Amino acid sequence: MIYAQLAVNGVVHGLIIGLCALAVTLVFGIARFPNAAAGDTMTLGAYAALVAHKASGSLLLAGGAAVAAGALVSFAAWWLVFRPLAGRSVVALLVASIGVAFVIRAVLGLVFGHQQQVFQVPLAFPILVGGLRISPMDLWLGGVAAVALSVVFLLLYATPIGRAMRAVADDPDLARVSGIRPQRVMAALWLLAGGVAAVGGMMLGIKTVMLPDLGWEILLPAFAAAILGGIGSPLGAVLAGLILGVAQEVATEFVGFTYKIALSFVVMLLVLLLRPRGLLGRVEALR
Amino acid sequence: MEAYLVAIGIIAAIQVLLALGLTVQYGLTGLINFGHVGFFAIGAYASAILSLKGVPLPLCFVAAAGFAALAAWPIGLVALRLRDDYFAIVTLGFSETVRLVITSEAWLTNGVQGIPGIPRLMSGPGMLPQVFVLACLLACCIAAALAYRRIAKSPFGRAIEAIRDNEDALAALGKDPARFKLQVLALGAGLAGIAGAFYAHYITYLVPDQFVPLVTFYVWMAIIMGGVGRVSGAILGALLLMVFLEGSRFLRDIAPGLIGEAEMASVRIGAVGLALILFMIYRPQGLVGDYSRR
Repeated sequence: MIYAQLAVNGVVHGLIIGLCALAVTLVFGIARFPNAAAGDTMTLGAYAALVAHKASGSLLLAGGAAVAAGALVSFAAWWLVFRPLAGRSVVALLVASIGVAFVIRAVLGLVFGHQQQVFQVPLAFPILVGGLRISPMDLWLGGVAAVALSVVFLLLYATPIGRAMRAVADDPDLARVSGIRPQRVMAALWLLAGGVAAVGGMMLGIKTVMLPDLGWEILLPAFAAAILGGIGSPLGAVLAGLILGVAQEVATEFVGFTYKIALSFVVMLLVLLLRPRGLLGRVEALR
Repeated sequence: MEAYLVAIGIIAAIQVLLALGLTVQYGLTGLINFGHVGFFAIGAYASAILSLKGVPLPLCFVAAAGFAALAAWPIGLVALRLRDDYFAIVTLGFSETVRLVITSEAWLTNGVQGIPGIPRLMSGPGMLPQVFVLACLLACCIAAALAYRRIAKSPFGRAIEAIRDNEDALAALGKDPARFKLQVLALGAGLAGIAGAFYAHYITYLVPDQFVPLVTFYVWMAIIMGGVGRVSGAILGALLLMVFLEGSRFLRDIAPGLIGEAEMASVRIGAVGLALILFMIYRPQGLVGDYSRR
């Protein structure tokens, strides 16, 4: 029973990891490098949501602000940093993405300070479902994640730009000779990835305490989830995020609070060794 | 003033050692090690714990290098079969895991309370002990730099440079790139371990918070600014890094109230980020790097 309760607690955290992993895997699949700035884009979304929520009191507006801020900054990072580096080695892009992450965190630290801040959300008694206690806020956050994920998957699988993105992920050269404009795909990719990460960031901010290194802590689990799900597989990333989130909560029971983050490292190593293409990934050379 | 300069010199020399370790790994072989601080931490803690148990200091230094190189071994075995970018993620995860272990295993490392009272390399009044530490460090740096030069020109060096330039070609010549990479990884990690031991016995106090990923990226910033794959680049970069870190502290000290410690920490992170971005875009070969390569 206690494990079931822990698993329930882990679901929201898993969705948060899943959203960040989705952003990571989209960029990895299409722009072909691991974007280390995804974590700090989450933090940015969280702070944008916090400001909007303080000003308006509406969580809906907060979500809108998070998506807008995340998408804009992510787009700006592509335009100013990653676009000029296109065609260079993966190292250059990876190191530059660390740079982008640090710049975002520095600006957030300067603007919002390093004191802990919290979302002023009303406390509510948990609902009992079959003996399991579920907080209404968790249900609400689950709903937010569900909406965000539906929008992303609709975009990816039911719109022309989504089809173009998947085509570029499959084979950039083939996509180009088929008349798909790479710049448009990249612009859409970075807007989408930033928005998705920001939604995850807002959820994380509501769930925990806001600090400028909030998102960086999620980056490693998100990378692990992206790899477990199979690089470039959006559905895999979300599933793997859920698995990791639940596993982390359940593992807390055995290994204590600090080591739950190490779990993602272990999972990442095992997947890379035993099944490098992850759960749903295509066969791709990563060796 | 002399005391200050010597103190700065010691920290700078530790940075140079770290930078040389990363230069062997990334500059020569192209291994993207994002977990340098993990090996640094292992060296620091190994030497500190052993010295407090009464082990003679020279042995502690050897142990620091040995433990750090040993830690690189399994990481290498696992990760070297992977592509560059996965290797970067795995090493980053490794260094964070090291920090978690240090934080959690209080029986060994005293957890977040840290280890106080680590013996100095040489104790005594006046400037002499500090100068002695600096001299030891400089000797280590020079030895490492000379070894690096030798390695780079040896058949081993040509092989590992070939890994960076074209791994498949090397494999086709019947060499085993993975074995070379493993040795290079362990070598760089050992250097980071020695740097960690110097750090522990100089600062005399260790807490897990000294070993955050930012430290890794300070070293990256140093070698990218200075010039990748060159001893002169590593040294120049480490010195520039020191000027930057000390300068930011100096700025805060002469104008207290203008900027607090928390803000300064943000400014430092932002400056590192900006430096990484700008150098990657405009000057990937660094200030003294090889112009013919990108």
